Amino acid sequence: MAEQMMDTFAGRALSGKLGEPGWLSGLREEALQFFQSAEIPWLEKTDLRRRGFDWLDGPEARVHEAAKALYDQLDGPKALVVDGVLQFVDAPVEVLEAGVIFGDLHACASKHEKIVQKHLFSAVSHTESKWAAMNAAAFRGGVFLYVPEHVVLDRPVVIIRAQTSVHAGAYPRTLVVGDVQSSGAVTEVFFRAPGTPSKEATTSVVEVIAKADAHWKIGIVDEILDGPAHFHERRAVVDKDASVDWVFASTGDGFAWSSLQTVLKGAGARSTMRILGTSVGRMHHDLTAKMVHQGRSTESDIVMHGVLRGRSNAVFRSCTEIVKGAVDAGSEQHDRMIVLDSSARADAIPMLLIDENDVKRCGHAASVGKIDPIQVYYLMSRGIPEKQALKMIIWGYLEQTVAEMPAPEALRDLLVGRVEKGLVG
Amino acid sequence: MSELKLEIQGLHVAIDGKEIVKGLDLTICGGEIHAIMGPNGTGKSTLASALMGHPRYEVVRGQVLLNGENVLDMSVDERARAGLFLAMQYPAEVSGVSNANFMRQALNAKLGEGHEMPVLKFHRQLQDRMKKLNVDESFADRYLNEGFSGGEKKRNEILQMSMLEPKVAILDEIDSGLDIDALKIVAEGVNTLRSPETGFLIITHYQRLLNYIVPDHVHVMMQGRIVKSGGRELAEYLEAHGYDGLKAELGIEDETVEVGI
Repeated sequence: MAEQMMDTFAGRALSGKLGEPGWLSGLREEALQFFQSAEIPWLEKTDLRRRGFDWLDGPEARVHEAAKALYDQLDGPKALVVDGVLQFVDAPVEVLEAGVIFGDLHACASKHEKIVQKHLFSAVSHTESKWAAMNAAAFRGGVFLYVPEHVVLDRPVVIIRAQTSVHAGAYPRTLVVGDVQSSGAVTEVFFRAPGTPSKEATTSVVEVIAKADAHWKIGIVDEILDGPAHFHERRAVVDKDASVDWVFASTGDGFAWSSLQTVLKGAGARSTMRILGTSVGRMHHDLTAKMVHQGRSTESDIVMHGVLRGRSNAVFRSCTEIVKGAVDAGSEQHDRMIVLDSSARADAIPMLLIDENDVKRCGHAASVGKIDPIQVYYLMSRGIPEKQALKMIIWGYLEQTVAEMPAPEALRDLLVGRVEKGLVG
Repeated sequence: MSELKLEIQGLHVAIDGKEIVKGLDLTICGGEIHAIMGPNGTGKSTLASALMGHPRYEVVRGQVLLNGENVLDMSVDERARAGLFLAMQYPAEVSGVSNANFMRQALNAKLGEGHEMPVLKFHRQLQDRMKKLNVDESFADRYLNEGFSGGEKKRNEILQMSMLEPKVAILDEIDSGLDIDALKIVAEGVNTLRSPETGFLIITHYQRLLNYIVPDHVHVMMQGRIVKSGGRELAEYLEAHGYDGLKAELGIEDETVEVGI
């Protein structure tokens, strides 16, 4: 069944259907071939034996009320993609007059061919892994944002990606290019549909290209629900003296392997990652936050916070790679996970891969533990009931990441609601 | 509700199976300030923690009644809402929870659902108390005790006490590590709260604090129980003669509960 579906669902066929230019059709076809011939990879802490890479193809776009309601509340640049179709996109006139390009990635591949061709697949190659190839061959509802030189966006761009069925809109892709000295923020928020464990796979890719002196903040509000296996690649390439700060939040009960990465390519490039992950039910979340230091005097910081309940399992890796020649690099990692139920399992794995002797600073801290009973006692000793005390301590731990999310209040409230539902319910 | 009575009867407390408090009797009535003095390791802080319900301390025997109600049957938060307050020697730090939020939650928990204090009124009251205790305004927004100096933590305890207005306030070595100015502020906090409805139990090594908070009763603890009680003159006697004089008088050689504690 999967093979038949593929005819129009991926590769050259899909590209044609979407009216993409020849160069992109060619790359999609290459990706498809790579995907078909690539073995199912072996992953250290994620067992894929009962999972697979079967295609997901679903109904054409329907209405997603919650996503639409959120879209209607936003007043900055915004896009709503439902079931893999870009349904609405809007940006204030002054933003468009400044030369900002925001919209359908497939159409932009022709209309703004030069810039899309140069950057698409430049951070996450179309043949770098089975899932990256799967996405390259099948992505739909792609969104492209280009911000020209010196342009500063004062409100965050919000991209809403929703699905009405687990089979629809399973291959999203976003490309953000911030030109020299541009700055702003983009947040991508997911409304996923629940399903049951299957051999199908959903993959998403975000590529962020920050040119010299550009400063970007990228938010991801993901929801990983039970159903197909999730594979997500979000990656930034940061040029000289530019910065990309990630704020990443994930909630849910599904099965996921995900990667958040910054390549600090230019001298003086900087990046931070603030990560919040909650796991409930039988969730399996294998998440790697990685900083690759290639330029001189590059700096990075990773802060990861996980909270686990039920029979969930989370593996949070923080990884710093300093390649030979990347002198004077500085990096700090902080990875802390709280296990609320003894049936949940957490792994906090710090990794340092250093090939350069001249390192300015490089530190890591990782811990897995329960909530400190003395903190609970202290709050209770002032009259606060135990349940509320636990809630306050957990929120105290997660709140800063939520507060950092570059998003309007409505979106932040949505995230708060999702975290609460999982942890306090 | 004006009459207050905390009765501690035949209290035995153990930690990790080791008995530290060994038969303690004490009654505190509204308007009274009791001071418990004694050398290190005699069970003073254990008494305070056991009264509040610290999870590591186990009450082996005895009872504690607050206006006739069995305190030991209550959970920690119930004890607090019933009117017990412990200013801790080493209060916990909680990242991400601001002092103001913490105090508001605590106050509202005490007032009960439907009787919460309006936010504005709360902040006015907090500002007022902070000013009186000479506490910097930034305290309100700082995370609970995180990165606080020893003295700041102590003042924060007193600030919480003044906001929550407990029936029985237990101050566990609130004076240790405080300079004389901070000590005066702490004393001021206690004296302001002094009323016929409130009782105090002040645990201290030193007589110094009692120059500023004048106790009605002074008790000396050794070997896990009260070995001598008296008026404020007892504190002065101890200041002049030290604990050794009292030990000789009582025929006690080792005042601690267990060597090395």
